[in-house]
Amino acid sequence: MKAQRVSLWLLGTVLFLCSVHSRGFRRCLISMDMRHVEESFQDIKRAIQAKDTFQNVTILSTSETLHKIKPLDVCCVTKNLLAFYVDRVFKDHQEPDPQILRKISSIANSFLYMQKVLQQCQEQRLCPCRQEATNTTRIIHDNYHQLEVRSAAVKSLGELDVFLAWVDKNHQGTPTA
Amino acid sequence: MCRVLAEHPAHNKVLNKLELLKCLPPYHHHHHRSWGWALLALILIPFFPGTELPSPPSVWFEAEFFHHILHWMPIQNQSESTYYEVELLSYGMELWKSISSCSQTLVPCCDLTMVTLDLYHNNGYRAKVRAVDGRKHSNWTITRTRFSIDEVNLTVGSVKLEVHSGLILGEIQPPRPKMAPEGDTYESIFPHFREYEIAIRKVPGHNKLTKKVKHENFSFPTPGEVGEFCVQVKPSVSSRINKGIWSEEACIVVSRQYFTMTNLSIFFAFVLLLCGVLALLALQLYVRRRGILPSVLVFEKPSPFNLIGQLPSPETQDTIHPIDEEAFSKVSLELRNSELHGSTDSGFGSAKPSLQTEEPQFLLPDPHPEAERTLGKGASLDLDNSCSGGSSNSTDSGICLQEPNLSLGMVPSWEQQVKSNSQGQDDSGIGLVQNSEGQPGDVQDGSAPGQVSPLGPEVTKKEDPAVVTFQGYLKQTRSTEEKAAKESCLEEESSSTDGFGPPIRMCLDAEEAWPPPVLAKGYLKQDPPEVTVAPSWAPAGQWNHPMEEWSLLGLPSCGDLGTSNWSFAHGLAPLDCVVAPGSLLGSVDSNLVTMPLIATLHSNE
Repeated sequence: MKAQRVSLWLLGTVLFLCSVHSRGFRRCLISMDMRHVEESFQDIKRAIQAKDTFQNVTILSTSETLHKIKPLDVCCVTKNLLAFYVDRVFKDHQEPDPQILRKISSIANSFLYMQKVLQQCQEQRLCPCRQEATNTTRIIHDNYHQLEVRSAAVKSLGELDVFLAWVDKNHQGTPTA
Repeated sequence: MCRVLAEHPAHNKVLNKLELLKCLPPYHHHHHRSWGWALLALILIPFFPGTELPSPPSVWFEAEFFHHILHWMPIQNQSESTYYEVELLSYGMELWKSISSCSQTLVPCCDLTMVTLDLYHNNGYRAKVRAVDGRKHSNWTITRTRFSIDEVNLTVGSVKLEVHSGLILGEIQPPRPKMAPEGDTYESIFPHFREYEIAIRKVPGHNKLTKKVKHENFSFPTPGEVGEFCVQVKPSVSSRINKGIWSEEACIVVSRQYFTMTNLSIFFAFVLLLCGVLALLALQLYVRRRGILPSVLVFEKPSPFNLIGQLPSPETQDTIHPIDEEAFSKVSLELRNSELHGSTDSGFGSAKPSLQTEEPQFLLPDPHPEAERTLGKGASLDLDNSCSGGSSNSTDSGICLQEPNLSLGMVPSWEQQVKSNSQGQDDSGIGLVQNSEGQPGDVQDGSAPGQVSPLGPEVTKKEDPAVVTFQGYLKQTRSTEEKAAKESCLEEESSSTDGFGPPIRMCLDAEEAWPPPVLAKGYLKQDPPEVTVAPSWAPAGQWNHPMEEWSLLGLPSCGDLGTSNWSFAHGLAPLDCVVAPGSLLGSVDSNLVTMPLIATLHSNE
């Protein structure tokens, strides 16, 4: 009887720890295929990036921002950047070419879907925003504001591949295929 | 392709148009746009005299895995002193970095792999090129797009092919560039979703069969096809938009293979099976050969003709021959000491050779060791069985067992005799007959209970009062006059024993009343006077009596056998209980059947 009790107790403890562990490290991941977004961007990449004349300036500053983000902050930073692009970049950019505009629109629609997914995570309190995530978002906003709006918008559009690569890397659902 | 300038600096000085064109890749897709810029430059130059050198129309990167080549369009009207300057910027960094190895060269391409090793980990690079001629220099022409990992075209290093039992097995080797830093392998940079498209064609056709695999190993079945097959591979990463480049053709010749593993294994299995069969056959032959009896022990099978021929004439009387005392005592002693005494085995078939040699005068059936076994096993009546078969030694004076059914037939008579014997003879079954006087009548039951006389039943004395007293088995004795006959008979027997075993041994001597011993010679249970002679070697005429007796007695049914106090050796029970005399070979044979069974019967006290 004692052995049974001990084993049950151990089992219960293990289960509790597992649940805590999973809850603590359960990340809100965007299980979405980013491939079509990347393809859309590839089609307009040349045109968009050609317009970017300020090569020695970067808005996303990946070395200072994106590369320093910890897994716990990924959800918050992703959510913030998606909002940044949808609310700022896509609205600020004036695209005369309809074909390029069409591609940009498809990218924007994908971003809206990703925002919805993260919104559900936030309601479940799975997307906490810590100070580090907030600081990163602020730096990016500051970089964007240092440039002229159109140049900044173009530059930000040109840096979409950087952002998509970062999302793809941090939102992998399973470690191996 | 654009060679690495650092490796071949001497070649850079002498260039011609052909070499310049070489730097342009075949899949260059900037052509139309670069021509546009060149045209514009041509148009604008007259309007801007004294301008500096025209800038290169376009600059672009063409990259494979750790092989990043910067290309640009040369300017129009370039002179021999015109060279190009290249600068590189890591996206996000503030300063442009000049690449001196590309400068001072007329070749419109430059390998920037060594300075762009971080391509697969950062956000990319931007490069710019301008033409310089003396003091003049053109404007910078920057690459239109940020050079990033997405612009790397995927290739394979090599494809290894081998043929294995009707399958073409292929192994794809990823590229292994020398300039790649340690840890940056193709598999580490593209860890997931690597795919390869394989195109195979059979020479000399051009139709290709494509197949997509998700691993570096693939196989193509070629059932029964022979010839040369060429394979091309195009890599890709399904989660990325990188383009793949078809590899060079790798060919292999598929020939008809006869010595495949399957064929060889089948062949060896067949050889092993054959060897096993041959070994079994050899073993069987060896065993058979071992199983053949020595010629000494092989008895001739009696033929019916011999049997009939040796039958005594019907008018011959059943005579009891006195036992030869001397020989008998010898035999009896030996027999007493023999292992057959008192044994509960199936009989006394295996007479010792000493008996045979010492007592040739005894009219004994040939000892037949097999008879014992056959008796025990309940051999059916057969003239050819037990004590017959093979050529027997004429000097055999051994003991032969009667067939079990014969013994069966004898059982009731013996039993009856035992019961009817009012002289109180405690007949315990088979006993050794003692006849000191050598008279036929002097037979007494002097044998110990259960003593088995190895000698078969002999001819009982006829009508001899002395014989009546005998309850056991009387060794047949003869009168002097009969001895001669016996001797002659023996001689005859000796000549006639071949092929005719102990069951029936008859002398054709008319004088002698030596009835043919049917099965066993040796000891014959004496009949009481009121009872007819024991159905042993009674003459044919007398044989009817036993038959009548049997009819009176009634052949025992199978059930009676169970109640019989005769304990048979094993094997008698399954015998056919009802032995109809008529079923045998005529009346003669029936009489043969009635011969008493000796030695296997033990009365249960």
